[in-house]
Amino acid sequence: MTTITEFSVAIQRRFGRQRLRKFILGMIPFIVLIFVWHLNSIFVWLDPVEIPPIADVWGAIFWLQSDCPGVIAAIEGHGDCILTNHVSSSILRVILAMVVGVPLGIGFGILAGMNRVVSAYLEPIGVFMNSVSGIAWIPLAVVWFGVGWETTLFIMLNTIFWLLFFNTMMGVRAVPKVLIQGVQTLGGTRLDAILQVYLPGAMTSIITGLRMSMAFGWRALIAAEMIGGDSGLGFMIFVSSSEFKTEEVFLGIILISIIFLATDRWLLVPLEKWTIERWGLVWKPT
Amino acid sequence: MTGEAKLIVQGLSHHYPDEYTGESVHALDNIDLQIHENEFVAIVGPSGCGKTTFLNIIAGLLPYREGRALVDGTEIRGPGPDRGVVFQEHAILPWRTVKRNIGHGLEIRRVPKAEREKTVQEYIDLVGLSGFEDRYPHELSGGMKQRVAVARTLCADPVIMLMDEPFAAVDAQTRITLQDELNRVVMATRKTILFITHSVEEAAFLGDRCIVFSRRPGHIKTEVKIDIPREDRVWKDMVDNPKFTEARDNILRLVRSEVTNDVDS
Ligand SMILES: Nc1ncnc2c1ncn2[C@@H]1O[C@H](COP(=O)(O)OP(=O)(O)OP(=O)(O)O)[C@@H](O)[C@H]1O
Ligand SMILES: [Mg+2]
Repeated sequence: MTTITEFSVAIQRRFGRQRLRKFILGMIPFIVLIFVWHLNSIFVWLDPVEIPPIADVWGAIFWLQSDCPGVIAAIEGHGDCILTNHVSSSILRVILAMVVGVPLGIGFGILAGMNRVVSAYLEPIGVFMNSVSGIAWIPLAVVWFGVGWETTLFIMLNTIFWLLFFNTMMGVRAVPKVLIQGVQTLGGTRLDAILQVYLPGAMTSIITGLRMSMAFGWRALIAAEMIGGDSGLGFMIFVSSSEFKTEEVFLGIILISIIFLATDRWLLVPLEKWTIERWGLVWKPT
Repeated sequence: MTGEAKLIVQGLSHHYPDEYTGESVHALDNIDLQIHENEFVAIVGPSGCGKTTFLNIIAGLLPYREGRALVDGTEIRGPGPDRGVVFQEHAILPWRTVKRNIGHGLEIRRVPKAEREKTVQEYIDLVGLSGFEDRYPHELSGGMKQRVAVARTLCADPVIMLMDEPFAAVDAQTRITLQDELNRVVMATRKTILFITHSVEEAAFLGDRCIVFSRRPGHIKTEVKIDIPREDRVWKDMVDNPKFTEARDNILRLVRSEVTNDVDS
């Protein structure tokens, strides 16, 4: 009994009481969902073709990787490592689209936020491009680039760029003028104003833009892979469902959510902590 | 007070264009003013008389067409590090620590890090912020933020320091402390300062000269000399210093007559 109490005290010290509480509360819906799912495989309310048992979904991981010669081969992208190849091809596309789209979106967003002429040129077309949802471009992109990575990359870039462009522009416009004037009267150049004031000042909006582009970008990517791709998790889900391999579809969906959650937790949340929370620009949840 | 004045303003007027009515707002009318080295000049005047307009023109933040304004002999064209500004609102950067805010001017001038940190530490000590070097502005009180703003401007070592109601947003007790401190800082650094305020007491306490602006369009109504040595200017002694009370009452009368006129017309 005392060891258990000590253990629980130790855990609470390590993670903090509030955070632990929040974590446990947040897990409850997942546990309920998994429990009901498990009940279904016992009582079979729904056909296993519609809702496969948990064990089958778990088994699909090994089944898909069964011909893979090993971890090194999986990392090198050996042709028989089916699952890891789909996962890495999706992730690589996300990274590539982010590496290109994020700096471009932020760059043009800052210019448009600072400069009325630039925004006069770019804002109308931005509204137009944003109004046509990312996935509506897929059929056209397939015609232009054919089935493959160009199409998926184009769809993601098109989504990410405009989201970041708009959010950055709005963020820059909301930066108090007096901060710019302060830097100018210290002898700061336009570049100083951009790097020291506009960029950090717009960070709250930029992070919102990053969140949105992760969310919409992922969705666009999955859709693009289904229709115009030849690899990736979206492609895997599409192929598996046409072959009625529902457990692979489930696996794909779960993996997408896990990857999405991981990027949020390990990239965006730390970025948020490191910047806007430290600077006192957002209300800090306790 | 040797040589040429640090700030020379001749026949400066300003009209703000009004985009809607097409009429313009006449904010400043024919201002002539000289400020010499080490002088502390305070400007008071009724609200809306053009004090901020005047300061913004000197700071280079507002272009002017009528009249002339020179700092250290050169015509003012845009903002520059020779004119440091302490703004009314907190203009320090929330994403920079106290230390890095204060050293920002030196950073912009590419002063090497070791030298920069040494200078910054001197100013941190001068304004009494030791121990807060690595804090972010949101962790500071309003008074401390204004100390950072003052130190940041001082640290960039401008020819003239422009202050637009810098203590208007803090509580009365803090304001008194900050005024005492500013006096100490002025003695230590021998800065040339143009200080705008709507507080008559503040103007009489800090200024070597106090310029009284008329109501809009602002022109210089009179100038009151306050001949009290800096080292005597401490609040606890000032209250019964006859020179101070006389100057204060004098300025108050002049400002009140402008405000009352305003009500009558
Ligand atoms: N950007 C602007 N466009 C048009 N009119 C302006 C502008 N800024 C100020 N004014 C007008 O010019 C006059 C002077 O304004 P200013 O801000 O210089 O006054 P002030 O003396 O600093 O007042 P306060 O003591 O209230 O700060 C005011 O009547 C104001 O309405
Ligand atoms: Mg003003």
